[in-house]
Parts: sequence; C-alpha cells; structure tokens
Amino acid sequence: MDAYVSVVYPAVLVVCALLVLTGLVTLFAVGPHRVLQWVVTATYVAVVVQALWVIGLMLSGADADLVLAIGYLLATVALLPIMGIGRLGTPEAAAEDPDPTRPVLQPDQIARVDAGAAIAVGIALAVASWRITIVFGA
Amino acid sequence: MNPVARIILIAVYSILGLAAAGRATVQILEKFSEAPVAYTVSALSAIVYIVIAVALWRGWETVALVGSSVELVGVLLVGTLGYMDSDLWPDETVWTGFGSGYGWVPLLLPLVALYFLIRGRQRRAASGDARA
Repeated sequence: MDAYVSVVYPAVLVVCALLVLTGLVTLFAVGPHRVLQWVVTATYVAVVVQALWVIGLMLSGADADLVLAIGYLLATVALLPIMGIGRLGTPEAAAEDPDPTRPVLQPDQIARVDAGAAIAVGIALAVASWRITIVFGA
Repeated sequence: MNPVARIILIAVYSILGLAAAGRATVQILEKFSEAPVAYTVSALSAIVYIVIAVALWRGWETVALVGSSVELVGVLLVGTLGYMDSDLWPDETVWTGFGSGYGWVPLLLPLVALYFLIRGRQRRAASGDARA
C-alpha cells in the first residue's frame, strides 16, 4: 500500500494535472495538440499500472470495500476511451457512418474537442483515483 | 449546433452519467431502504445524463433539449428542497446542494447545453428564413 500511495497515486495525479494543463493550452492554441496526444498515451500507461496495482492490492487481501474499489477502478478504465474523442469527428470516421447528422470536424476542431475531453477526463480521473486511495484507507 | 461544443458535451455527459450510475448502483444495492427517494433520484439523474449523451450523439436535439430541461429543473428542485428541509434527504444525491459534490457541474452543464441547443435552433431558423 505504501508504494501505491507514494509512487503510483502521485504519478496518476501528475498525468491528470498534465492532461488538464495541456488541455487548457490546446483549447486556446491548437499547436500543442501533439503534446496532448503524448500526455494521453502517458495517461493510458499510468491508469493501466494503477489498475494492475489495485488488483494486486485486492488479491493480497488489503482491507477495503471491494464493491467500491472495483467500481472506482472500472470508472478509471472507462474514462480512457473518452480521451481523444475527437477522432470520431474525422472525415474518415464520419464517412463510415450512415448517420447524416454525425459531425465532421476540421483539424483545429478535433484538437479543441480532444482538449475539452482531456480537461474533463483529467478532473474525473483524479477524483476517481483519490476515491480509490480513500477506499483503501490511505 | 456547434460540433465542438456538441462532442465536448457528449464527453462530459458521459463522464457524469458514469459517475451517477456508479453512485446510484452502489446506493441502491447496499442501502436502498435508508433513503429510497434520494437513491431513486440518483438513479434518475444517471438515466437523464445517459439519455442526453446518446441524444446529443444521435442528433436527437428535441430529446436533448427536454433532457437538459429536466436536469436543470431536477438540480434546482433537489438543491432548493435540500436547503429548505434537510430531513427530506437522509443521504446525498448527485443533485444535492445544486451538485456541489460534483463541483456544481450538474448545475452548470444543463445551462451550457441549453445555450448551445437553443442557439443552434435559432441559427437554423434564421438561415431557413434567409433562404425563404
């Protein structure tokens, strides 16, 4: 548990902060979209490490409400696909969908959508990760 | 409707729907008898968020408009009743304290959604008038 609190949880918080910061910057100037994509990749890695660590803690018999722990764990994983949601607005993706109301985005709009999603996911992921530490009594 | 705002709203409603659904599931499964009204409201709010997210994605603007209105009325009603008589709510819902437990996002989100939905309709109506 100590390693989780001193290494894994802070690492997740750092990527959450980076998501929010790069998201905010990208929202106003789309140039750093490439940086945001790197941060998104780092977030995937951090959340997978956190998930494996938490599963390990549960299997080792750590004192925690398993329903809540699994719920928050699933929430952190479920948040991941929302990052980069702008890819659904590319002309290629829209062309594969017969829905005529599906939005088709320009590259700068894709960057802004990714930025907005990154801010929302960064905040939600930080809260869910914080709740996991509470559930484990840290 | 502005496509950037639309997809960001879909993302935020999905996240809030996920949070509310998780909260309601735990509350209903573990302690429904302690506060049945509050936990039913939690479940209702989760359904509303998911319906709005789907409606925005599928382009069902009227459904999204009605859903956002229901959400706004719900958060105002639950928030106000909570301050008037706290005994009405033995436990918290997503909308308690006007959504203060979720950074007031449940109060702000329907306002933002309604703004973009209504503005989109007005713009479409104006461009229709211009063509006629």
